[in-house]
Amino acid sequence: MKIEIKNLKKRFSDNFVLRDISLTIEKNKSTIILGQSGCGKSVLIKTIYQLFSFDDGLILYDGKSEVDIDKFSMLFQYGALFDSLKISENIAFTDFINNKRNFNKKVISLMNDVGLDKSIFDKYPSEISGGMKKRVAFARALYKNPKVIFLDEPTTGLDPINSDKINELILKVISMRKITAVTITHDIKSAIKTGDHYYFIDKGIIQDKGDCNKILKTKNKIFKSFITGADIKQ
Amino acid sequence: MKFIENIGEVLISLFSNIGKFILFIQFFFKYLFGPKFYFKNNISYFISIFVSSIPIIALTGIFSGMVLALQSYTGFSRFSAESAIPNIVVLTLTRELGPVLTGLMISARVGSSIAAEIATMRVTEQIDALKTLNTNYYNYLVTPRVLSLTLALPIFVTLVDFIGVMGGYIVSVHRLGFNDNLYLLNTIDFLKLSDYLSGIFKAFAFGFIISIVSCFCGLFSDKGAFGVGSAATNAVVISSILILSSNYFLTELFF
Repeated sequence: MKIEIKNLKKRFSDNFVLRDISLTIEKNKSTIILGQSGCGKSVLIKTIYQLFSFDDGLILYDGKSEVDIDKFSMLFQYGALFDSLKISENIAFTDFINNKRNFNKKVISLMNDVGLDKSIFDKYPSEISGGMKKRVAFARALYKNPKVIFLDEPTTGLDPINSDKINELILKVISMRKITAVTITHDIKSAIKTGDHYYFIDKGIIQDKGDCNKILKTKNKIFKSFITGADIKQ
Repeated sequence: MKFIENIGEVLISLFSNIGKFILFIQFFFKYLFGPKFYFKNNISYFISIFVSSIPIIALTGIFSGMVLALQSYTGFSRFSAESAIPNIVVLTLTRELGPVLTGLMISARVGSSIAAEIATMRVTEQIDALKTLNTNYYNYLVTPRVLSLTLALPIFVTLVDFIGVMGGYIVSVHRLGFNDNLYLLNTIDFLKLSDYLSGIFKAFAFGFIISIVSCFCGLFSDKGAFGVGSAATNAVVISSILILSSNYFLTELFF
């Protein structure tokens, strides 16, 4: 699914979080949204997902303004797993709460795809590690075979080894399932590894865009300072 | 000038929250049985609050009845009206103390837990996750809690009434020297069905108040640990105030 965003504006009370965002998410490609904490990245993808309304602008999904959000899926920053449910019930949540009990096979296959051991099938989220939680959340996001997957800081809170594993997993899933991916991150290494195109947001507007393999060659001063960690005012 | 500004801000926030709360109730009724009704989820929630609340309900009932018998004796013995104690115990429990004390105890026991649980779900993006999984959070979270508590509270009040009368009986017979048969006969003869039903009607109202207020406080909590704490505190404080104030109007209704 191709998603086009034109002059998107979103504010909370008097605070404009998205001032004027225009970008295109290409079908079956991996788009990375970069930016500092609090720049509006999460608000942007939640607005695209229709979890938030917007004040002005246009979002077109394959050229139409309306979309069935069942085609979307999201991996939340900290997994957002349901504490009172077992891992298998979390992954097959929609079938589980609708009393469809024949999900075991599909869950095990997904757990295998995301590199999870069967032994955690009946465990609760509090009994597994942070890296595993991310994988479970990933499996849950893939359970409904989405056309577009939104990944909110997939490597946040993970050690370098686990981060790399998650990046590999993202690449594998995107190529295997031929889905469109939109990833929010401030991890440059992860962006270069998993993305096709990038957009850099600062103060609610797009400051820079391009191909992910050219991120390090950017000439945009603000983006450069974001990459190097240097204060632009100095 | 700053003082007036502050008052203005508080009033705007108050009316905005009242407006949000009214809309929340409207949405609750809109989604009460649809688009989906998770029957199993409703039943399991009912069982869980029922089982977890029984000990606190039993303690509330027994001690209320016992204290009521002792205090009534102190007053009535001054003008030789001790025989009215069974009547006063049963009437006070069924019409007033049963529903009010049960409501207050349940708002502390269950209301705070509902608010904290939902607020935590909000903070950890589980509410957003529900939306992305095409699940209406009114159907999945709010309806089971409100229906369960609204239906459970009349049962709790019936238990408190019964256990409270037994508490009064134990104190009156074993401590104050009443005749056991006479005490029970007086209790049963004096109690009218309307007394019991007025308490049950209050229980339905209080159950609804506690659950809807707690769900609202949880869903509209501020973020972070402070937000979760405030949601639980607000749920108990607002529910308690609404229970005590609505109790007056409901009593007027059955007066």
